[in-house]
Amino acid sequence: METGLKPIGREQWWVFLLLAPTLFGLLFGVFGSVFATLGISFFSWDLLTPPQWAGLENYLSLLSDPAFGKSLANTTLFSLTYVPGVIVVSLFVALLLNRRIRGVSIFRLIYFLPVISSAVAVGLVWSWIYARDQGILNVLLRGVGLQPVNWLSSQMALFSVVIVNVWGAIGEGMIVFLAGLQAIPRDYYEAAQVDGATAWQEFWKITLPMITPSIFFQAIISTINAFQAFEYIYILTRTTGGGSSVPTVVFTIYRTGFNYFRMGEACAQAVVLTVIIVVLTIIYFQMQRRWVVYE
Amino acid sequence: MKKLLLACVVLLLLSTGISLAQDTPVEITYMMWGSPEELAVWQVIVDDFEAANPNIQVNVDVSDWDSYWSRLQTLFAGGTPPDVFAMDAPLYRDWQSRGVLLNLQPYLDANPTALDGVYPSTLEAYQLEDGIYGLPRDFQTIVLFYNKDLFDAAGLDYPNEDWTMDDLRAAAAELTVDVDGDGVTDQWGLYADLYDMELFWSSVIWSYGGEILNEDYTQTLLAEGPARDAWYFINSMAVEDRSMPDPTQVTQYGDPFAAGVAAMTTIGHWVIPEYADLPFGWDVAPMPSGPEGRATSVNSAGFVVAANTPNADAAWQFIQYAISSTGQTRLTELGFAIPVLQSVAESPVFLEQQTAPINHQVFLDALEYAHVKPSFRGYEEWAAVVGDGLLPVWNGEISIDEALDSIVPAANDVLAANQ
Repeated sequence: METGLKPIGREQWWVFLLLAPTLFGLLFGVFGSVFATLGISFFSWDLLTPPQWAGLENYLSLLSDPAFGKSLANTTLFSLTYVPGVIVVSLFVALLLNRRIRGVSIFRLIYFLPVISSAVAVGLVWSWIYARDQGILNVLLRGVGLQPVNWLSSQMALFSVVIVNVWGAIGEGMIVFLAGLQAIPRDYYEAAQVDGATAWQEFWKITLPMITPSIFFQAIISTINAFQAFEYIYILTRTTGGGSSVPTVVFTIYRTGFNYFRMGEACAQAVVLTVIIVVLTIIYFQMQRRWVVYE
Repeated sequence: MKKLLLACVVLLLLSTGISLAQDTPVEITYMMWGSPEELAVWQVIVDDFEAANPNIQVNVDVSDWDSYWSRLQTLFAGGTPPDVFAMDAPLYRDWQSRGVLLNLQPYLDANPTALDGVYPSTLEAYQLEDGIYGLPRDFQTIVLFYNKDLFDAAGLDYPNEDWTMDDLRAAAAELTVDVDGDGVTDQWGLYADLYDMELFWSSVIWSYGGEILNEDYTQTLLAEGPARDAWYFINSMAVEDRSMPDPTQVTQYGDPFAAGVAAMTTIGHWVIPEYADLPFGWDVAPMPSGPEGRATSVNSAGFVVAANTPNADAAWQFIQYAISSTGQTRLTELGFAIPVLQSVAESPVFLEQQTAPINHQVFLDALEYAHVKPSFRGYEEWAAVVGDGLLPVWNGEISIDEALDSIVPAANDVLAANQ
C-alpha cells in the first residue's frame, strides 16, 4: 500500500470533508445499532418493561437453546456448501465468458440479472420450479420416468435453497472473476504457448494462481453473505408461524426478539453471529499468506 | 368563616378544573391489525363515536398481522404506545403479565351493566383473579366449510350435524382424486392448517376427550391418552390416506379450498368476505363429532388499554362504544367477525348478512360445545415448538409418535421458562 498519491497540507481537509457523509452514516446509523446490539445483549429485555442487567446470562442460555443450536447448524451447513459452490460455479462461468465469442455481453447480462432482480419475485419463481406436484423440475423427472423429489421438504430444503442462493450469486462472482482474469497480462500466456503448455497447464499454472486475490475476495464476501442469507430462504421455506423448515440464525434472531419477548437473547445471538463472521475473516486473512499470489 | 370561604374557593377551583378537563379535546390512538376494508369500517365506527363524544378524537392505525406486533413492541420500547390496541386472546397473558395493560375492573365496577349481553365464553380468556385487562371485540368459532360442487360431482351427501370424525375421514378419502389422470393427486378431501392448534387439531383432541395443556399451563398434555389417539386420527388422514395436502403441496395453492382443489376446510368466519366471491357453491356445517362428543375452538380479538395512558377515561369510553349495540352492528356489517353481543349476533344483521347466503347460525351454535383457545405466557414460542416439530410428520419424513415424543419435553421447557 505504498503506492498512490498522498494528500498534503490543506488537501487533508478535503479528504475529511468528502468522507464526512459516509462517516456520518456509519457512525450514527451502523455503529449506533451495532453498539446498541452489543449493549442490549447484556440485558434481559422484553421490549415492554425496562431492561434488567443480565450479565452473561443471555450468552449462557444460548448454549442450552436447542432452537439456536439447530439454526447455527443449518447456517454452518449452508455456508459450507454455498461458499465453495459460488466460487466454483461463478469462476467457471467467468472463464466461459472471458473470451471473444459472439454476444458475450448478452450472456454476461443474463448471468448478472438475478443480482439486480427482486429476491422475492425470483424466490416465487423458484418456488414454482420446486413445487411438489406441478413444479417444472418434478414434471421433468416424471417425464423421464424418475420418482419426483419433494424439494422443499424438511430434509431436502437446505440443499434446494443452496442451489437458488448459488444461482443468485453467480453474477456477482462472475464480475469479480472477470475483472481478475482480464488483469492477467497476455504475455504470460504467450510465453507459455511458446514453451508448449497445454490449455489445462495454462489454467493450473497461470490463470488460477493469478486470480487467487479475486478468489480470496469472493470467499470472504460469500462467507459474509452466507451467514446473513435470508430472502430466498424465507420465500421458499417459510411456515405458518413465521418460521422456516430450515431456520437459519437470522430467523431465530428475529423470532427470539420479536415473537418470544427476549430481545436481549436475540442480540446475544446477533453478536455470536458477528463474532463468527469476524473470526472466519481473520482466519481467511491468516491463510491468505499461504495461497494468495500478489504480483 | 375563613374556612368556609377557603372551602368555597377550593370547590370552585375543583369544579373549573373538572369542567376544564371535560372541555379539553382528548386525542387517543387505536391500533389494530387488519385489512384496508377493516380500516374503512373502523373509520365509520370512529366517526359515529366522535359525533357522540365531540371532545374525543380517535386516530385509527392499521397494519398487517406480522408488522402489527413488531410495530407495537417498538412503540412500547420507545415509550409511545397507543392508548387502545387490539389483542389476540392467546397472546394476552404475554402482554398482561408484563404489566403494560390497564386493569379495566374499576371501570366495570363503575358501570356494572357494561358487559350485559356479552357472550360469557368470550370473556373467559381475559378474566384474571385480580381483574380484567381486556375486553373481547369480536370472536371466531371454527366450523367445517365444504365445496358443494365437488360433493355433487362425487355424488356424496353434504356434511351435516350427524357427522363423526370417521365420516369426515371416509368422505375425504373419497374426494381425494387424480382428476386429470397423470398419476398425481390434484384434488384433496380436506385442507386444514396443522401448524396452529386453532383451525383443526385442538378440536380433534377435545372431541377425543384429550387435553392440550393442564389447567395452570405447566404441562403439555397433547400426547397423552385420548389426545394421542386424536393425533393418530389426524395422521391417518394426512399421512396414511393422504386425503389432506401436505405443507409443500399447500404452498402451491395458497388456500387449497379457495383454489377449488380441497373439498372441505376448517376455518373461521373471517374468510367469508373473501369466499363470497368464489366461483363455486359452498356452505358450512358443524365440526364432526369425535368419540367423546363434538368440540371446536373459540377465540377472540379484544381491546386492551396501555397501562400508562394519560387518556384512560377516553379509551374506556371508546371501548364501551365499540362493544355497544351500535358499534357491534357496524362491525358485523363488515362480514369478517362475529359480534360479542348476543343481541346483535342473533339479529338479522349477523344471521342474514349480505356477504354470503350461508347458514351463519352454525357459527353461533358452535359456542355450545366450543373450548376457549388457551392463552398463556409463552404461547407463541410453545406453538412454534409444536408446529415446527410436527412439520416433518406431514411431509412424511418422521412418524407421529417420534415427533410427539420429542415435542413434549421441548414444549414443557418453554412453559417452565415462562413461569
